[in-house]
Amino acid sequence: MIELYAIARHPGPTLPGLASLRAVPFDGLAVVCGPAVEAEEITEAALWRHEEIVEALMDDRDLLPVRYGTRVADEAEAARAFAAQRDQLRAALERVSGAVELSLRVRAQEPGSEPDLSSLRPHAREAIEQAGRDEGELRRCAYLVERGRVDAFRAAVARLQQSHPDLGFLLTGPWPPYSFSGP
Amino acid sequence: MSSTIAEREIALVDLVDRLLAGGVVIAGDITLSVADVDLVYVSLRALISSVASAEEQGALPRMGDAL
Repeated sequence: MIELYAIARHPGPTLPGLASLRAVPFDGLAVVCGPAVEAEEITEAALWRHEEIVEALMDDRDLLPVRYGTRVADEAEAARAFAAQRDQLRAALERVSGAVELSLRVRAQEPGSEPDLSSLRPHAREAIEQAGRDEGELRRCAYLVERGRVDAFRAAVARLQQSHPDLGFLLTGPWPPYSFSGP
Repeated sequence: MSSTIAEREIALVDLVDRLLAGGVVIAGDITLSVADVDLVYVSLRALISSVASAEEQGALPRMGDAL
């Protein structure tokens, strides 16, 4: 079995020398894959192992991350699996081109406060702002931010934090564009 | 991604969100079924909720503290 990590344009930059990565081309795109870790238990360490490979790829190319746990029998099957959606994949790559994903969760000690996140929007290409999912969490958001604007986005979040000391702004990333790779 | 342990703990929630619910999906065989994903959430829940309560108590660094 092989494990699938990402879709990228082909040809692309040389692959990083880790996890025996290979690029399997199809229709001007390539699926980057490597030997699957046999019977890998899904642990925090396993998720980070996968993530670090995708991040290494992200360093010097645009990509669409493939959902964790996607495995196929061999390289031919990998190419075949994606060929049917090549047009959507090309469009999705254009959508995330030159950008990364930042995650922001807003938490509150006291219920009732409503964060105004509108000052972040000018720094992002796209935003997905959802309600929080745990107690104390007000918002769970993903932003698609151009690589050159990540620092400006961070600074904008830092300003929000300063003006709202009662809230907690938890910003992480840059992530591969997991939230912006779908249709 | 993040370098400090505290940042990694915060990021775990975001990591799980993304790797297990985001990204490109293929039609056809995926070895990780929805049921498997649910199991992962269950097995990681203890860890994630401990991170969430640490966030609650302000025990983890917030934006502007460390960045």
